[in-house]
Amino acid sequence: MKFRILLFFILILATACIDVEICDEDYDSELVARFKTEKDGILSDTTVSALSLYGIREGLSDSLLYDSIPASGFVVPLDPHHDFSSFALQINGQSDTLTISYQHETYMISYTCGFASLFTIEDNIESNSGVIKSDTIINEMVDAEYEENEEHIWLSL
Amino acid sequence: MRWLMQNMKKTKNISGSVSKAALLLLALALFGTVSAQDTLRTFGPRFGIDLARFLYLLADPSQKGAEISADFEIYRNIYPVFELGYNSISDSQDLFDYSSAGSYGRVGIDYNILPVKDRSVHHAITLGFRYGMSIFTHQIENVLIPGEYWGDYMPEAHENKLTGNWIELVGGLKTEVLPNFFLGWSVRYKVLLNPEMDPLMIPELIPGYGSGGEDRAFGFTYSIHYMIPLVKK
Repeated sequence: MKFRILLFFILILATACIDVEICDEDYDSELVARFKTEKDGILSDTTVSALSLYGIREGLSDSLLYDSIPASGFVVPLDPHHDFSSFALQINGQSDTLTISYQHETYMISYTCGFASLFTIEDNIESNSGVIKSDTIINEMVDAEYEENEEHIWLSL
Repeated sequence: MRWLMQNMKKTKNISGSVSKAALLLLALALFGTVSAQDTLRTFGPRFGIDLARFLYLLADPSQKGAEISADFEIYRNIYPVFELGYNSISDSQDLFDYSSAGSYGRVGIDYNILPVKDRSVHHAITLGFRYGMSIFTHQIENVLIPGEYWGDYMPEAHENKLTGNWIELVGGLKTEVLPNFFLGWSVRYKVLLNPEMDPLMIPELIPGYGSGGEDRAFGFTYSIHYMIPLVKK
């Protein structure tokens, strides 16, 4: 009798443990950049007092992602329609343009949630005015999964 | 039914692993059991069709399939088994359309653990294993990756021809409800051997196995069989 009661509860528990997947509505694959300063060959974190930033989009109006706010870096979505993304930055009043090239693939998050972009950053990040002095790729893979303390590139100011 | 009760007692003595629940289900299936006419045993190939596929169709109309099987008692209580089938799915999700279709085959052996002295009786409780292989094509179309800033992105359709391999542990019952006609069911525990078959898209349906997203899966068949009576000895 005890075995039957145990079997009954096991069956109840088994039917109660059905996974229900909830999809994140944010499908953007976002690049995380951190600002650094170099002193005696050692890079350290820094925060700029005013960062403005927008993506340079073909056929679309400019739309600010950061509007003159203090920032220790930025998080931006990458353009899946091209093999590069360009961003106009203004750091403490000085303007620069940052172009990031990559290889683009799609991958499946899950059958329920669908697909997202996977970008593999190439080692030729360009900036044109010298505000950003150098760059370091920390993690070349940019996907739609959120990970705490994730960093993709360091930008030395 | 008296035959059943006798055999239930014998089975309990000899094989403690056979659960009472399984025997109860056997009793439910025995509404028209054939009683032994003589002590000679009939041999011949037995062919079956899985009726559970039609029940699956009611539960999930996006999936279609059919499965046939054949076995033969090659040695006392040992049945080599061959199963062939077809499975397809055509599904429209919010952000993509998916389809998968293909054929599969399984080969293996069943062993009858039901001890009966009367060799003319064909009822069986079987344990066995299978190796399964499926050749199928799956396709994704109309994929949409929503993007608020850069705009929605629609990648090209993706199609891939794949091969799935798996093994199964099988347990089941077969009851001769009319001369040479059998009803039976089986439960199966499946282990997928090559889950990384498509790096872009996990197959939602590997015909004969189930979802490619699961390295382990359960299966169920409910079949009707007919044995061609070739030899009596």
